[in-house]
Amino acid sequence: MPDKDKMSVEEILAACRKLDGGGDTSASQPSAAEEPPAPAATPAAEPPSGKKPSEMSVEEILAAARAEKAGRGEASSSEASAPTSAAAPVAPKKKPSEMSVEEILAAARAEKSRPATPAKPAAKPKPAASAKPAAKSSPKPAAGGKKPSGPLDTASILAAARKGSKRGPVSKEEAARTAAPAAAKAGSRVPPMPSKPDFLRPAAKSKPAESRRGFFGSLIGIVFGSAMAVGFVSLAVTQLLWLLGFARFMFPNILIEPPSKFKVGFPDVIGPGQVVTKFKAQFGVWIVRNEYEGVDQIYALRSVCTHLGCTPNWLEAEQKFKCPCHGSGFYKNGINFEGPAPRPLERYAITIADDGQLEVDKSRKFQQELGQWNDPQSFVPV
Amino acid sequence: MHGHVDHATFLQQISSFLGFYYIALAAMNGIAALAIWRGGRSKTLFRVGPLTFTNALLWTVVAFFFLLMAPLAMSGSEPLMRWVSMPDAFKHAADAVMGPVAYSLGSFLILAVLFSFRKFFVKTWVAWLGLNLSFLFMGLSITDPDFAAIVTKPDNVPIVGLIFLLGFFTWLATAKAVKNDERIARGEKPLEAVDNEKILVWPDLVYTELICMVALTALLLLWGIALQAPLEEPASSVKTPNPSKAPWYFLGLQEMLVYYDPWMAGVVLPSVVIVGLMAIPYIDFNRRGNGYYTINERKFAYVIFQFGFLVLWVTLIVMGTFLRGPNWNFFGFYETWDVHKVVPMNNVDLSEYFWIRGLGREMPRAPEGSGAGLELLYILWREAPGIILLIGYFTVIPPAMVVYSKFFRNMYLKMGLIRFMVMSHLLLLMGLLPIKMVCRWSFDLKYFIAIKEYFLNF
Ligand code: FES
Repeated sequence: MPDKDKMSVEEILAACRKLDGGGDTSASQPSAAEEPPAPAATPAAEPPSGKKPSEMSVEEILAAARAEKAGRGEASSSEASAPTSAAAPVAPKKKPSEMSVEEILAAARAEKSRPATPAKPAAKPKPAASAKPAAKSSPKPAAGGKKPSGPLDTASILAAARKGSKRGPVSKEEAARTAAPAAAKAGSRVPPMPSKPDFLRPAAKSKPAESRRGFFGSLIGIVFGSAMAVGFVSLAVTQLLWLLGFARFMFPNILIEPPSKFKVGFPDVIGPGQVVTKFKAQFGVWIVRNEYEGVDQIYALRSVCTHLGCTPNWLEAEQKFKCPCHGSGFYKNGINFEGPAPRPLERYAITIADDGQLEVDKSRKFQQELGQWNDPQSFVPV
Repeated sequence: MHGHVDHATFLQQISSFLGFYYIALAAMNGIAALAIWRGGRSKTLFRVGPLTFTNALLWTVVAFFFLLMAPLAMSGSEPLMRWVSMPDAFKHAADAVMGPVAYSLGSFLILAVLFSFRKFFVKTWVAWLGLNLSFLFMGLSITDPDFAAIVTKPDNVPIVGLIFLLGFFTWLATAKAVKNDERIARGEKPLEAVDNEKILVWPDLVYTELICMVALTALLLLWGIALQAPLEEPASSVKTPNPSKAPWYFLGLQEMLVYYDPWMAGVVLPSVVIVGLMAIPYIDFNRRGNGYYTINERKFAYVIFQFGFLVLWVTLIVMGTFLRGPNWNFFGFYETWDVHKVVPMNNVDLSEYFWIRGLGREMPRAPEGSGAGLELLYILWREAPGIILLIGYFTVIPPAMVVYSKFFRNMYLKMGLIRFMVMSHLLLLMGLLPIKMVCRWSFDLKYFIAIKEYFLNF
């Protein structure tokens, strides 16, 4: 066998056919018979059209295959000393793999030109139409009407399928052509109608007693009436369950705590300018003592970046809060000064509790750009 | 990753890999030389006396060069490995030059050069030389601990591979397009139209797919075994890793977030990208270039697409992956990721530029205790410069394009008003990103419109 990736389409087809041929030998006789030999004057009679293989239509390739097979079938049947056809085609004497494209084409053309008896015009407008006669003649088993039982090859399956009507999309013209004879036939002889199957008969008329089942009965009928109904109902049910699951997803199973108030120690332990970072991990807050607008005060900054909500870090060396996500920077007082953050960090409410400790209330927030940092709740003066 | 080991140990670790790396490079070039020679494609480059130098010989020499580097790299000793390392002077210079501006403009310029001289760069030997050079660059640089740290991070290894893959496919498509363009210029059909032989789904396609499937599965298995999954510590809502990076394919978006507000960079621009890509079939009136590679027949579409993809998407991903370190600061290839690197980035809104620096006045502000409506009016007044600028950008430029550019006028006549407007606005929206980047770099502009009261910044 030639190298796989160097094989042309024709060669691959030939190879496939050779494999098929193993099972085909039993049917070699009918196949030999179904392919009457080509007239002797083949390749020379027709001027070579010079078609490239890439321009061959499927029909042509198939025809080529068929022609070639006739040659092979002939060879194999002669081996089995079966009666052979009188005039063997010229080209396919060679092994299929040795055939050049031209030869295959010539064979194809020979085969095609065979059914083109003088009654029919030689030049046909449609390749599909030209393939038809070839197809029609093929699947008739000659030897005693015995059908070939072995595996069929692609060409004969296609031909058999095409015999009745063309598969796939049909043009209007074609449809008219095929429908007209059918209509004419229908007028002449009406085929006997098969009796209606049971499930097509109206149930209510035949069994009037059943109507007492009432609403639920018919509902069950609708729901489980046919495989289609079962399919759609189960689809609908599945969708509904998904929808419910999705709705449930919107209410996650979490403990929603009330916004917490918590104590962060006495104010006098925080030195001037100090940023207390130890509450960040648990409460998400920095306690800062700093001067803001001339007032030395303690405030609680929320540790959420106002850009996209990452958690910035306090960089002691640079005296700034810096966000790792897109590089926003905030001064110690929470004002944004670099990066994309559009507004300052937010403050939580902070008060002195009864025992003298600082108490942060996360339920209230103060935003500088809204002028809320002047609110006495937002800081504790020192 | 390698921060905790000293330099000698690090070199030891890297040396065995590097030795095999150079051997693989030598093999690669050797095989190429052999293929050229056996395939009868060797060409004489020049002659010295009776000796002829062919291209096969050239790649053999390159293979021997890599073969010489292999034992040096394999040695793992510092003085020997110096020979296969980037010179320090180069590293320092590269780090000093590198910055977001140099990187972005540089990669844009390089791509522009590659595009304009594509006839030269699609030549096989040029591409092969480029491949060798980039591999050599990787090999020489990886002896630097900082470079190795970012390149060998399990997260980043596939991205390094992707860069090469992308380069290859871009080269391949360009090469085919250039070939077709030459054929079309000569009045011939494009290659794809000539060679359109159909092949069979079974067995050709199915087998190809099967082989790909098996190979990729094997690759994934090997990869899964060789590189550990880059897992990090358990997530915590109050602790963000530093730097904190999106998945690699979103790093372009993350880079965009540096310049824009979240709703803009995270919602509006990505949606515009998707909608714009979907709109292409409706605004494209050029019927040529269908089913074959070509650049000249649809230059506008090609250039715009590659600008959006390669410049605005891929180079930003590369920057986000390799060059953004702690605090989202920019770090050069050979720079240590220092958490305390200080980069001054005081950014100023356009309104502040206009009112305070330009006019020397206070920003307009609603008087205390005024209602929400009045406050909004004042805010709009405050942001008026930016608003006017943007409205002008979107309303003045499209007609101006039609009036002043013959190219766009042609387009307008062919497309009609609506399609032209959609096209030009998509174009302008795309242009906003580089414009904003340039404004940020050149005069620290933060936002054109900053209505922070309503979370509306642009
Ligand atoms: S989330 Fe902080 S800078 Fe983007």
